[in-house]
Amino acid sequence: MKIENMLTTIDNYAATQGDQAVYDVLGEHHTYADLKHDSDAVAAYIDGLNLPAKAPVMVLAGQEYEALVTFVGLSKSGHAYIPVDINSANERLTSILEIAQPAAIVAVDPLPIDGLDIPVVEPQKLRIVMQADVDYQMEHAVSGDDNYYIIFTSGTTGKPKGVQISHNNLLSFTNWMITAEAFSAPKQPQMLAQPPYSFDLSVMYWAPTLALGGTLYALPRPVIEDFKQLFAVLPDLPIEVWTSTPSFADMVMLSDDFNAEKMPQIKYFYFDGEELTVSTAQRLRERFPDARIVNAYGPTEATVALSAVAITDEMLASGERLPIGYTKPDSPTYILDLDGNEVPNGEKGEIVVTGPAVSKGYLNNPEKTATAFFEYNGQPAYHTGDYGIMDDDGLLHYAGRMDFQIKFNGYRIELEEVSHILNLSDMVESAVAVPRYNDQHKVQQLLAYVVPKPGLLEQYDKPLKLTQAIKATLSDDMMPYMMPSRFIYRDELPLTPNGKVDIKALIAEVNKS
Amino acid sequence: MDVQAEVIATIEDLFMEDVSDMMDEDLFDAGVLDSMAVVELVVNLEAKFGIKIPVSEMGRNDWNTANKIVEGVKELQNA
Repeated sequence: MKIENMLTTIDNYAATQGDQAVYDVLGEHHTYADLKHDSDAVAAYIDGLNLPAKAPVMVLAGQEYEALVTFVGLSKSGHAYIPVDINSANERLTSILEIAQPAAIVAVDPLPIDGLDIPVVEPQKLRIVMQADVDYQMEHAVSGDDNYYIIFTSGTTGKPKGVQISHNNLLSFTNWMITAEAFSAPKQPQMLAQPPYSFDLSVMYWAPTLALGGTLYALPRPVIEDFKQLFAVLPDLPIEVWTSTPSFADMVMLSDDFNAEKMPQIKYFYFDGEELTVSTAQRLRERFPDARIVNAYGPTEATVALSAVAITDEMLASGERLPIGYTKPDSPTYILDLDGNEVPNGEKGEIVVTGPAVSKGYLNNPEKTATAFFEYNGQPAYHTGDYGIMDDDGLLHYAGRMDFQIKFNGYRIELEEVSHILNLSDMVESAVAVPRYNDQHKVQQLLAYVVPKPGLLEQYDKPLKLTQAIKATLSDDMMPYMMPSRFIYRDELPLTPNGKVDIKALIAEVNKS
Repeated sequence: MDVQAEVIATIEDLFMEDVSDMMDEDLFDAGVLDSMAVVELVVNLEAKFGIKIPVSEMGRNDWNTANKIVEGVKELQNA
């Protein structure tokens, strides 16, 4: 089964299975009929604001039901939404506002900045708006090449990039995911909704679940951050599909109770967002011998994922880096050398994805768009910046990054951006961020090499105190997930022959053992 | 095996931080630990000491200083 329109599909479920739960937050649930009622009310209210047609709207939200209502409501009223996380640094919010120029903000949670000259729908107001009974006709909903959502990702110069994903892009992804053998998605899936909406891994749970009339089970952030609460809640979640980063699975596997005996309902694990290691997959297989473990891969710019594969026992036994999947049939994917020529199977090159899931580019950023997006064989194409190898069976293998982008706990981070922000502190002379890897190629820790302003180090009784002081000066600028945990102080940093800080040398130094 | 020395060595090995002079400092506030670092730490301590750490009973204020970690390991060894 394929869907033709995300919004009419969701509304149709209100008619055919209105009593079915669509969203459950720790036992508080909301049906498809509720979602239609509430999102219609939000759409009518947004229409009443008379915003410029199709202008994007920023949504600040956690995992609340009201987040989903707002997203659907905005789509119905023809506006793309920009999901931003409740833990965002103020500087990140300000940058996104500057770049995206949204027509309004919906604050599902309290907005930490004020003095804005655009309408802000405050949390209380939103909840009142949702209660209105309206007879809403979708007449100018998001469709075709219109932007459905815009997700901001790390940029190298401290300016985040807004990836524009259209309704057509979303359909290409969703229809692949609900029909591909690799996922073998169940009917009316009961899915975990843990990754935040600002992270496109979230699309991997909400899109198929809404397309197939299933239920999302949200885990609020405070619960995830406290093991005691997390492990109290987890066994009772009636989820059949677990979608997360591998890092989050590593975390829950700390509990012996995370196994098929205690949670027999889990039959599928969908992973994306960072490398799935053999070690994680192997331990999961031991805990859940009959569950399907799916490794998916893809950049935000090509709508969540472009390849996926169910991990087999043979792959685990080989001990080699796990493959990242068979590519989507509608999205021809190539391995190109530095001159743009296709390389034979088995040879390394850049992964280039083409087809209907490729974004139209970065919002209001023609320069970066022109660097990364192009046309190939008559199709929209995107340079992933990832090295890959295609094997003779059509399986794609990951082979590292071409630049200084890393994945850390599932977050995509440009080392240059972290370095750039570190250098904003007036306590810092110069600094660079450096990742530390474990033996499975996975970033374990983000470090900073810092040359402090002269005489500063001596003013603190130990380096850690200086680190805390510098971190405090950066808290408005640095997203918490990007903040290096440890600062290593130096009198100077190694330079390359052309005078830039030699990040490669420092990466080698940190990872020498 | 000196539990305290081993715990300090493990933390230094994993997070490049010598905590020997800050045994009672909150390691989360100090930026040494976060929820993902705890995963690495727990896995390593379990392997090193042959213990099973009851993570599901860990609140935010348990196992958050080096001394509490040392005490926790000792208790589990004697359990």
